Amino acid sequence: MYGMIHRAMREMVLEKLGEEVWLAIENRLKIGPTELLTSMVYDDALTFEIMADVASRFDLTVDECLTEFGQYWVKYAEKGSLSSIMNFTGQNLADFILNLDRLHLAVSSAMPGTRLPSFTTLHKEDGYLSVEYRSDRMGMEKFVYGLFLGLMARFGALGQVAVASRGEKFIVFDIRYQDRR
Amino acid sequence: MLTNFTQTQIDGLLPAFLHINRGLEITAVGSAISRYLPQDYIGMHCAELFSINNCEIGHFFREWQGVKPIQIDLRNHDLSLNGTAVFHEDGCLLAIRFVLSEKAFANGSLNLSDFGHSDPVVLNTMLIVLQKAMLEDAHATVLELARERESSADTFSRTSKVAGYMAHDFNNLLSIIQLNADRLLRLAKPNDTTTKLANIIHETACRGAQATASLMALSQQRTGTLNLISVDNIIKENFSILNSVVGSKVKLSLNLAAEKYKCVVESNELLSAIINLLINARDTLPNGGNISLSTAGGSEFSGERSHMGPVGDRNFLSIRVTDNGIGMSNALLSRAFEPRFSSKPNGTGLGLASVRNFLVERGGDVRLESKIGKGTTVHLHLPAQFDTADGGLPNKPNTTRILLAEDEPYALEAMAEMLEAEGYIVSSCQSGEEALEALEQETYDILLTDIVMPGLNGTEVAHRATANQPAIKVILMSGYVPDRASLQPGWRLLRKPIDKAELLQLISG
Repeated sequence: MYGMIHRAMREMVLEKLGEEVWLAIENRLKIGPTELLTSMVYDDALTFEIMADVASRFDLTVDECLTEFGQYWVKYAEKGSLSSIMNFTGQNLADFILNLDRLHLAVSSAMPGTRLPSFTTLHKEDGYLSVEYRSDRMGMEKFVYGLFLGLMARFGALGQVAVASRGEKFIVFDIRYQDRR
Repeated sequence: MLTNFTQTQIDGLLPAFLHINRGLEITAVGSAISRYLPQDYIGMHCAELFSINNCEIGHFFREWQGVKPIQIDLRNHDLSLNGTAVFHEDGCLLAIRFVLSEKAFANGSLNLSDFGHSDPVVLNTMLIVLQKAMLEDAHATVLELARERESSADTFSRTSKVAGYMAHDFNNLLSIIQLNADRLLRLAKPNDTTTKLANIIHETACRGAQATASLMALSQQRTGTLNLISVDNIIKENFSILNSVVGSKVKLSLNLAAEKYKCVVESNELLSAIINLLINARDTLPNGGNISLSTAGGSEFSGERSHMGPVGDRNFLSIRVTDNGIGMSNALLSRAFEPRFSSKPNGTGLGLASVRNFLVERGGDVRLESKIGKGTTVHLHLPAQFDTADGGLPNKPNTTRILLAEDEPYALEAMAEMLEAEGYIVSSCQSGEEALEALEQETYDILLTDIVMPGLNGTEVAHRATANQPAIKVILMSGYVPDRASLQPGWRLLRKPIDKAELLQLISG
């Protein structure tokens, strides 16, 4: 995965557990700034290795940590230099998810070599979205789940995310929510 | 003829389109623009909703036809649109899109849904923002790497110092062991058990010295002895190495004429400097050629030393490396000694700079002469001593007075005993301060002092000794030299653990 993910993981650890913990992770995994280059594409194994270590530091399972990280990922993108792109992608949950593929198109143009997932809104009505997530990378379901929770929080919505169905390379999520704004 | 598009299809391509009839009334709008218009916009006069920047609205259908570029501003909104006005018999399709300003992008007043899927401006704008974010991250990474490098360098420097201090302490201990093993050997009878045991102790201490040499290498300390040596001999002894350095295409010729001159240098650093110069010379001769390595002493080169200031009656030895290679321009000559500067594609730029450092440290200098197409000559100058004609030893036992300063009492005792056994007249001091007192009271031929001592260190004692007794010969001893630059040219340096033969040679030489 690309280094931006690693940077976000570091930021989450720094924010919630402090610098000492991140330095311990770097030390154990023998990584440093060169494994945190935003546009560099790294072996997925390294990303999962970092995630596993981060999970243990948070005393979470990897799945729980992926959900946490999915939510954090939205906050990370909001506060950095990507905040304008986040604003531009959509001003509400439905629009944002609808435009995610267009955002990813720009990301993959800027960072060649990335393998980004695809999100298709299958059905949309007030307070309900059916979204198909497709990826050739397995094991990120909980991250996507956390991502939807993070997006609901971003747009001030309350609700639940559930898996409606799944196939070899896709998962359909049901998102039921209520706008608070 | 192209297919007629439905309003939904046009909306998919141009979500901010407008259509007006010939009465300038709105008849259809795209989904992206509709949210900026009043609810009952259909049938409204377009002038109520927007202004056209590049045409009077009243003249719109009268003056324009076919396909025209158009720019409009939405009334009551800080938004502009541009694109193409396509005229047809029923009216005009404004195939327009929002102007994506930096402000509108950042504050979310426009979003991706307001633009067509194939709109290149959107992709480009997002790319620019992403690349800006990546640059910011790259900048942060560069700073992190710089900090990490600084921290590594700091750790390395501290580790080196610790290694140096450890080497010093071990070398002191090994020195005591070796010197006292020598004492035992002197006292014991040949072939008895004590002799055998003393030899074992001595040999083991020597092995320990090899381990401390590794520690010193880690602390970037040189481990050679600064001794009075014959440059000619060093060159002759290492000729086969020097010859292999220049390679088979180059002929290396020697013209050594300084056998009566000796310099205080480490033989390894001298050899390393000569090899550096030969490599440089060889690299100017890709198709082969000649290099001459010559030495001379005394007044032969006196005319060339004027740039080094007054020489007085000191002797100098000159080493000259001449090639008939491509030569150097004046611009290149002026930068040749600059550290990290190299005219070679893979050069480190450290060769000539390190040669000059070595020479300056030993009280000498280096000079370059070159002509494009003719070749280059490098002149090295070192302070030298002229060997007496009979080759006699100036410091003979029984008459030579040695002032010995060493803060380790066991080492002091053993060394004094050993030197006295060799016939020298030794005054022992256990500190720098004691040595200074002794120097005020008597004249000595030799100052033999440890460098690292509590209080006044050996280097300071040596400086004061040479100031008060200029003829005194200084021999410093240490397992670690914290500040090599503080050593004066001509001072000898003996590495600990002390090797008896080496010490006696330094004293007598």
